[in-house]
Amino acid sequence: MDKMKLMLVDDEERYLLTTAKLIKKKGIDVVTAQSGAQAMDLLKSHDIHVVILDIKMPGMDGFKTLRAIKTLYPPVEVIFFTGHATMDSAIEGLQFGAFDYIMKPADIDDILTKAYEAFGKRQRLEEKIRGLTSKSERHGLDE
Amino acid sequence: MMDRKNSGEDTRARRVKRNILTNMIVIPLIPLFLAVGISFYYFTTALENSSTNSLKRIVGDHRDMIESFLMERKSDLEMVTNLFDFESINSSQVIDNMFEVLKTKSGAFIDLGLFDSRGLHVNYSGQYQLTGKVYKDEFWFQEVMEKGRYISDVFLGYRNVPHFIIAVKKGEGETAWFLRATIDTLYFDRMVSSVRIGRSGEAYILNNNGIAQTGRRSGGVNVMEEDQEFSAFPSSDSTIHTFLKSDPQGLKFLYATTWLEDLEWLLVVRQEKKDAFRFFYYALYASLVIMVLGIAIIVGMSFFMTEKLFTRMEQLGRDKKDLGNQLIRATQLAEVGEMAAGFAHEINNPLQIIKSEHALIASIFEDLYENKKIDPEDQEILELQDSLSQIELQVSRCSDITRAILKFGRKNETRVQLLHPTDEIPEVLKMIEQKASVEGISVFQRIPEHLPGFMGDASQFQQVMLNLFNNAIDAVMEQHPDTGGRLDVQAHLKDEKWIEIRVTDNGAGIQPENLEKVFSPFFTTKPVGKGTGLGLSVCYGIIENFGGTMDVTSRVNEGTTFIITLPKAATEKQDQ
Repeated sequence: MDKMKLMLVDDEERYLLTTAKLIKKKGIDVVTAQSGAQAMDLLKSHDIHVVILDIKMPGMDGFKTLRAIKTLYPPVEVIFFTGHATMDSAIEGLQFGAFDYIMKPADIDDILTKAYEAFGKRQRLEEKIRGLTSKSERHGLDE
Repeated sequence: MMDRKNSGEDTRARRVKRNILTNMIVIPLIPLFLAVGISFYYFTTALENSSTNSLKRIVGDHRDMIESFLMERKSDLEMVTNLFDFESINSSQVIDNMFEVLKTKSGAFIDLGLFDSRGLHVNYSGQYQLTGKVYKDEFWFQEVMEKGRYISDVFLGYRNVPHFIIAVKKGEGETAWFLRATIDTLYFDRMVSSVRIGRSGEAYILNNNGIAQTGRRSGGVNVMEEDQEFSAFPSSDSTIHTFLKSDPQGLKFLYATTWLEDLEWLLVVRQEKKDAFRFFYYALYASLVIMVLGIAIIVGMSFFMTEKLFTRMEQLGRDKKDLGNQLIRATQLAEVGEMAAGFAHEINNPLQIIKSEHALIASIFEDLYENKKIDPEDQEILELQDSLSQIELQVSRCSDITRAILKFGRKNETRVQLLHPTDEIPEVLKMIEQKASVEGISVFQRIPEHLPGFMGDASQFQQVMLNLFNNAIDAVMEQHPDTGGRLDVQAHLKDEKWIEIRVTDNGAGIQPENLEKVFSPFFTTKPVGKGTGLGLSVCYGIIENFGGTMDVTSRVNEGTTFIITLPKAATEKQDQ
């Protein structure tokens, strides 16, 4: 089983710094991005499993970033992290393919629990895909 | 400024009201006056004419009758003088027979006498002893000698009784002779005064000196007395005159007069004006009554309608104002809600950082313990630990607050479910218990355990109860600032269908004039900034949505009770 690789996207630098430290202490790989654009850049070079994404950011906001991620890197799971968890924005996020949402302020443990859930989902999906491809490979050999 | 504006509006409203009232009174009065006035005028003119004409007709008819009576009596005598000569009459037997014949013809004859040219009463038939008397110097004798026939005025004569005579002459010079008959004045009186018009109508005759020739029903002037009014009557001509005149006693009479033909007698028919024109007065009174009633009805109706119209208009005005205010306040509230939500959002970001920092510090502490770099029993370390846990606690408090604000700003979707007062009310009471005990208010609840439930949205119901409890606490604090406050919450089954919840406080109470308004939106007695005035109106709306009612009773300085009545849930039966 792969180790989970996490990315935090938020415009609050201090938050990124502290949270990343905490997560690292738990032995989880984490990268941080201060904007949607930076996140997209980092995704190019890193194999990220789960993104914790702030909705309200200057420039490219959470929704735009989510769409970009889902377009370019569909397997990456995204969890919305918002200070304003209205039903509407949550539903909107879920419609765009977010895994779930967390409301600020949240305990680091809660964040990680949600992240593991997303990671688990991704793992299952990958296994399924692997299963399907190997089946078709076998099928191809039989022919 | 505000006052001036208000008083200006008041003046304008009063002016409009006055105008409406004036128009409503004056416009219907015009046709009323016209209708009553015109009909009164034509009706009374017709009545006056008919009264006058009827009097004219009566006087004319009466004159004809009297004239023909006198003419007949004269003809009677003339017939006798033409059929008989002096000698044949001058035997007492004959004159007596003649008198008898004449009497059968007319009861008016009293006696009959024969005279020679020297005025000697030659023969007489009647009740007096007049034979042999000489009448040469009597006024009537002179007249009859001259004119050939004569009807006298009423006079006393030898017999000293009022009477008048009819005399007819036959022959000329020395051989001339006369036949004279006396007419019964009583008989004549009766005939003349036989006229009966209304209550006071009467007829009488005056001679050309104004001496009464007949009596009259009303008394006053007797036969042979002079009538003081005579000088005012029209002088001799044959036409009929009618006029209004006061008699010496001051009574107004309607008179009709006419002179008799060939005679210098004036026939007077008169009737009291009040009597003659009684229908005129009836019409006048009826018109006045109609007018007064009409005016009263119009004025009354106008006041009533204006008042009603104005109350309605004022109500509409107030409603409009209320609605406007409500809209403004609702908008303000929405803006405030949005702003609060924005703040909450912004505060959540730093809170998240604090939380993360706290988690980091806590984690570092753990590492330090594990590596034995610090002593966990050290007093200063313990203080740091305590302070750290306070940070956690206070952050979670802040987070509770922001979550509550965000929840408030959210458009709540109602979820109707079965609610039990037994569960819901204590839960809300818990929220205010702390506050109540700090303020020295004792909270009592009496809710039977097996009270059935009702259908409603839980958070809305909580909102209602919370609002009532908070209001109660405010009211109690006003009345009992330190201790002695009391808040009673009761719930019971009112009857088969309804659950009743009563929230009673012993607070300041509500002024009677405000009692009706407590459920109106934006009605508040709290100082500016302390209450939106929305609470109770929202509560009312919520309870109404649940199919229930909300009521209030209050006594100033004694306390207030809010009574919520909710329909018992039908599903309760299925549950059991």
